[in-house]
Amino acid sequence: MTEKAWMLLLEGAWVTLWISGLASAMGLVIGLAIALLRTARIPVVDQILAVYVSLARATPLVTLVLFLFLAAPTLGLSLDRYAVAIVALTINTSAFNAEIWRTAFLNFPRDQQEAALASGMTPATMFANIMLPQMIITSLPGLVNEMTFLLKSSPAIAIIGLVDLTRVTNRISAVTYEPLPPILAAALIYMVIISVLLKLQSLAEKMAGRLAM
Amino acid sequence: MSDLPAVEIRKLSKSFSGVEVLRDIDLTVNKGEVVSVLGSSGSGKSTMLRCINWLEEPDSGSVFIAGQRIGYNSDKQRPMTNREMAATRARTGMVFQSFNLWPHLTVSQNVAISPIKVKGMPKAQARDLATQLLEKVGLGDKAEVYPFTLSGGQKQRVAIARALAMSPEVMLFDEPTSALDPERVGEVLQVMRDLSGEGYTMVVVTHEMEFARMVSDQVVFLDKGLIIEKAPPEIFFTNPASERVRRFLDRQD
Ligand SMILES: Nc1ncnc2c1ncn2[C@@H]1O[C@H](COP(=O)(O)OP(=O)(O)O)[C@@H](O)[C@H]1O
Ligand SMILES: [Mg+2]
Repeated sequence: MTEKAWMLLLEGAWVTLWISGLASAMGLVIGLAIALLRTARIPVVDQILAVYVSLARATPLVTLVLFLFLAAPTLGLSLDRYAVAIVALTINTSAFNAEIWRTAFLNFPRDQQEAALASGMTPATMFANIMLPQMIITSLPGLVNEMTFLLKSSPAIAIIGLVDLTRVTNRISAVTYEPLPPILAAALIYMVIISVLLKLQSLAEKMAGRLAM
Repeated sequence: MSDLPAVEIRKLSKSFSGVEVLRDIDLTVNKGEVVSVLGSSGSGKSTMLRCINWLEEPDSGSVFIAGQRIGYNSDKQRPMTNREMAATRARTGMVFQSFNLWPHLTVSQNVAISPIKVKGMPKAQARDLATQLLEKVGLGDKAEVYPFTLSGGQKQRVAIARALAMSPEVMLFDEPTSALDPERVGEVLQVMRDLSGEGYTMVVVTHEMEFARMVSDQVVFLDKGLIIEKAPPEIFFTNPASERVRRFLDRQD
């Protein structure tokens, strides 16, 4: 592969990385917000969120990207392709993250909560100081897992013309007429990114293990 | 203020799904008193203790902590807000059977966090307080370790230090030695004996007859949600009024 080809490949990798990274970060926070709202069991709101989560989880990412891209203008929204991609990825991953956070919340030991309340903490103080730090640690393995899923399904954004790490290999082979090297190189880059995430995940699992007294 | 009882329970009743667990409980715990609560398993001891700090909400009746009603704002004639509830609970300290330490915090942090987050105590001062309380329970050298490294008896002593850190009006103990290995029971009872010697007000649900006999000012016996005997230990253990208590004591030794 030429230097030019590598440059293109890295540009594609960058698009994949920043779009997935941004969506992951937003998905973490939005997922947590959804989970908390759901545990509050506010009538109507709870049902709406439950439907949102099921729909977002059931819709293939490609379908969601395409749908948002086509639907945005009819809703009077002028989103550029990048915005559509980020919104779609965020909707998808926040729904999965919400379930991970919710499980951590629902499984949080009742007796630790009672100790916190008994010592005079308000529910908010208890959440911030006792529950959330432990929920982050116990959820991290699942959350990182979800990040790798998102990264691996991110080539879906090519359907609206974005040139990500997968799509760019097409462009390169269109010039070089050698399809194999660029796709192998792309696979290698995916593996590097994901192995960094997996490293993080095993670290998280170790920390989680320490909490289980 | 100082002559108000530390805890006053009036006509407390509580049911779980239609089954009455507490019936018209009346109990006064004066400042500096140690009250032991005895009774067989399922008689409502934990429920009564948990109603004192409103971890369990009674169906009727009221509880006063040093004169302040818990759960209900008497001035404004409405249930307490979360904030009012927390402020009132902070005046009680609770020690649980299963310790319930917070595993993500060091021993010192377990003790210091509520003074910092609830009372707004400066961190350095809270750390000093934690050090001092951990020394009091014989764990001065364990301040920086995490709870998972401790034995049950040590965990329970940390839990006692944690409850003491809020300077409560009353310490509530729910079978604090029941989850311990037999050889670890003594160290926890010793700490509790020391506390009573220092004048702490304590309500102790326990099966330790020796502790109840030696340390309590009053012994209360619960049977099917009713207080059927309330007496100083010298009377309770030698000449109880009720046949039920006599049978209970016979079975103990
Ligand atoms: N949260 C609860 N829900 C339903 N029943 C409960 C609950 N807590 C306690 N009970 C029941 O109330 C009765 C008294 O329980 P408890 O106060 O724990 O007794 P003790 O501490 O004296 O063993 C028992 O029959 C128990 O099963
Ligand atoms: Mg009990």
